[in-house]
Formats: sequence, structure tokens, C-alpha cells
Amino acid sequence: MGTCSQTIEHLYAYIDRELSEQEQREVQAHLDRCPPCRDHFRFEANVLSLIGQRCRQTSAPPELKDRVRKMCQSG
Amino acid sequence: MQARLEQEALEHIDALYRTALRMTRNAADAEDLVQEVYLRAFRSLHQFTEGTNLRAWLFRILTNTYINEYRRRQRRPASASLDDIEEFYLYDHLIDSGVQPSVERPEDIVLSKLSVDSVIGAIEELPEEFRQVVLLADVEGFSYRDIASIVDIPIGTVMSRLYRARRRLQRQLYDAAVESGVIGRVAADGHV
Repeated sequence: MGTCSQTIEHLYAYIDRELSEQEQREVQAHLDRCPPCRDHFRFEANVLSLIGQRCRQTSAPPELKDRVRKMCQSG
Repeated sequence: MQARLEQEALEHIDALYRTALRMTRNAADAEDLVQEVYLRAFRSLHQFTEGTNLRAWLFRILTNTYINEYRRRQRRPASASLDDIEEFYLYDHLIDSGVQPSVERPEDIVLSKLSVDSVIGAIEELPEEFRQVVLLADVEGFSYRDIASIVDIPIGTVMSRLYRARRRLQRQLYDAAVESGVIGRVAADGHV
């Protein structure tokens, strides 16, 4: 996984922590010595993180929580 | 044991609701869907294996209930044209517009200024099967293996759907950033 293009192929799996430990280390080693790839990986990770943060701001309405709680209590 | 499971199940109601809301794109349907999920879950609690992932189990019920009860009512965005978008669209266009990632953090320039509505709008524009994997992976943080089990598709399909969904999402976010004036549109020759 020495080249930039080989590393980029693993971008999402790396960000999602779905690579094997060995692959994770190889990507990390490339990022440590390649600032452009490091910038790109950081950007993509932050995009995904932002999507998650923005969407997690929604909560269930209190009335729904009450209804479900009562439903579960009445069994 | 039953009471503890019920208590634990209720802890996931926010996550189930926001996923239901993004899938149905309608608050009343989302509430009905979540209520139905809990009804089915409590009825089949005896089928749940202690020690397995309760959250993933609830999301699997959500997915099945949605498919059986709600999907046919949905107006579905066309699923075509997912593949004609360049890879890493947002990043590449920001670089083309002259942003220097080594000096400025492009995500700070653009992403922090995108509103909740822009991001949610971009997700809701995704065709259903792509929206679903983005919600499960990027919002709820499920692993590829859990998503495969929740949606009942192979892990390879999870990865390819996620990859294509994110590519499409980048395009949507770029358009949202341009529309809201956060960045100028980059012409084909790379100039703003």
C-alpha cells in the first residue's frame, strides 16, 4: 500500500475502521509520510463526522416516548 | 430480565426515530413506524438472544417494518445517475477552487457553515437503499457487518452502496454550499 492511489482505495474502510490491523498500519504509515493524502483523509473523515453530528440532533418527540413507555408497561 | 430489556430498548428510541424520519420523510409516519417497531419488538422479545446486539436487532425490525408497511407509499427519487459523479467530488472541487488544504482546512471553510437542513436535505435526496446505509453507517455508527445483518445484504453490497451514496452526497453537499453562498461554483476549467 505504498502509493497514493493504493492508499486512497482504502480511504473509507480506513475511516470506518473496517481494515485489518495490518492494513490500518500500512495506511497510517503512508499518511505519516504523505501530507496531501493526510489532508484528504482528514477532510473526508470530517465530512462524514459532520453528516453524523448534524443528523443526530433530531430526537424522538416526548409524546412518542410516553406512548411507547406506556405501551411497554401495559405489556 | 424482560424489564431490563424493555428499559434498554427504550434507550434507542431517539436513534430509531431519526432513522425512521429520514426514511419516511414524514414525522407522523415516523412516529407510527417507531411505535410499530416497539410493538413488534416487545411481542417477539422471547426471540431475542441475550448478549447479542439489541440495537442492531431493533434496527432490523425497523427496516423490515418500513419495507413491509411504508415503502410502497414513498415517493422515491430516481435511483439513476448515481454513477456519473466523480469520486471525492466535494474535495476535488474545493481544491480546484484554489483552497490550499495544507494551509486552510477546507472542511472548516465549507462544512462548518452548512446548516442542519442542508445536510438533511442532501441525505433525503438519496435513493432509498443508499440513504439507508448512510444513516446506519454515518449517523448511527453501525459496522459493515451489522448493516449487512440489518438490511439483509452481503457486506460487499454494503460497501459498494455506501461508497456510491457518499459520492452522491458529496455532490449534494457541494451544490448546497454553492446555493447558500458558502463557496463559488467552480467552472469546468477550475476557475471560480
